[in-house]
Amino acid sequence: MTANVKPTETLDVRGEVCPYPDVKTQKKVKKMKSGEVLEVLVDYPLSAERIPRSMEKAGHEIIEVEKTGTGEWRMLIKIK
Amino acid sequence: MIDTSLMLSGLIVGVIFGFVLQRGRFCMNSAFRDIILLKEYTLIKAVALAIIIQMIGFHLMAQMNIIQLYPKTLYWGAMIFGGFIFGVGMVLAAGCASGTTYRVGEGMMGSFVALLGLMIGGLVTSGGYLIKLKSTLQPTEGALKAITTADLGVDPGHLLGNTNLTLANIFGLDPWIFVVIIAIVGLAVLIWKRGDEETKMKGSLYERIFKMGWDWWITGIAVGIVGILAFIAFKNYALGISGGWFGFLNALITGDPDKLNWFTFLVIGVVVGAAVAAVMAGEFKLRAPDAKRLLQQFIGGLIMGIGAVIGTACNIGHILSGVPQLALSSILGGLFIVLGCWLTAYVLFMRG
Repeated sequence: MTANVKPTETLDVRGEVCPYPDVKTQKKVKKMKSGEVLEVLVDYPLSAERIPRSMEKAGHEIIEVEKTGTGEWRMLIKIK
Repeated sequence: MIDTSLMLSGLIVGVIFGFVLQRGRFCMNSAFRDIILLKEYTLIKAVALAIIIQMIGFHLMAQMNIIQLYPKTLYWGAMIFGGFIFGVGMVLAAGCASGTTYRVGEGMMGSFVALLGLMIGGLVTSGGYLIKLKSTLQPTEGALKAITTADLGVDPGHLLGNTNLTLANIFGLDPWIFVVIIAIVGLAVLIWKRGDEETKMKGSLYERIFKMGWDWWITGIAVGIVGILAFIAFKNYALGISGGWFGFLNALITGDPDKLNWFTFLVIGVVVGAAVAAVMAGEFKLRAPDAKRLLQQFIGGLIMGIGAVIGTACNIGHILSGVPQLALSSILGGLFIVLGCWLTAYVLFMRG
């Protein structure tokens, strides 16, 4: 159902340690325009749960959080 | 060499602790840092709940003579300095002592490097080049010497196994007054602020335990219970992380098995338990950040090790195990760990 959602930009923060995935995602989101979709690739479990939480709190829409492999996640965030 | 039953109990409690830490993503660096950095209060609620549960549990057990409480010695200068630099170090290391340890079990090489730094920093300070710094801040004479109940002429109270100061005995009050008030107020705030951070958990019970990250209140209760188990098993204290690693490296360097302590077996258990949890959840992966970040984490670990020896404990020994005993040393040390964490998080992530 989300296969047809094309991300506007991709942020690959795999390998990064706490809290860089979250901080880099927040910085990226601030630069993007309303309605655009950010794809985030992350391999840090805490951030895979925390980024969707904080993004939703900030009013952005989490289209999908998908576990793509062992210890790897892909999330799609629609900017408010 | 410590006896086999202690070794086993350390390992068993450690494996459970590691499992809980990994499932609950329980890291105090994140818990404190995220308050100011991400305005995220999920982990701090888990930390607070674990402290409250242990506070009640420890005091109940002491009341029933199962254990005695051992608040740490109040070297006030050492607590302030050691706590503060520990807080600085844990932000650079991207994890506190417990967070770093459980992430080694998840396969995070940056945490492994931070752990090496922690061990080296600790041994350099406890018996090496920086021993002067430690003895200056933990002197037997002078303004910085330890303050005990004897110095203030107050009664340590009936639950303590030593003469160190607590929030209760410094005022000559019964500890239960504080336990009851802190527990009621703390639980009320947690229930009021329980919030919407809970993951909307779907799936079977098996999946919710072994596949998904736990809700904060489950983590808090689980960590609290593990802390109580640790105190029953070890008798002299509850959970601690950094001292276990210092003993580990010390035993390797000197070849003296007597350097291994109960906490050494606990921390080995934590790595194993976290690895088991991560593998079961499909989250175990060998991964590393870039070289610059690895260096930052190593330096962070080094500073944490120095801070933990000077401040006589890490975040676990002070905040998770000492604060529930109402130890003034741990309250002071813990406060400065948080301040060091906040200052560093501000400088690293929040300016500009």
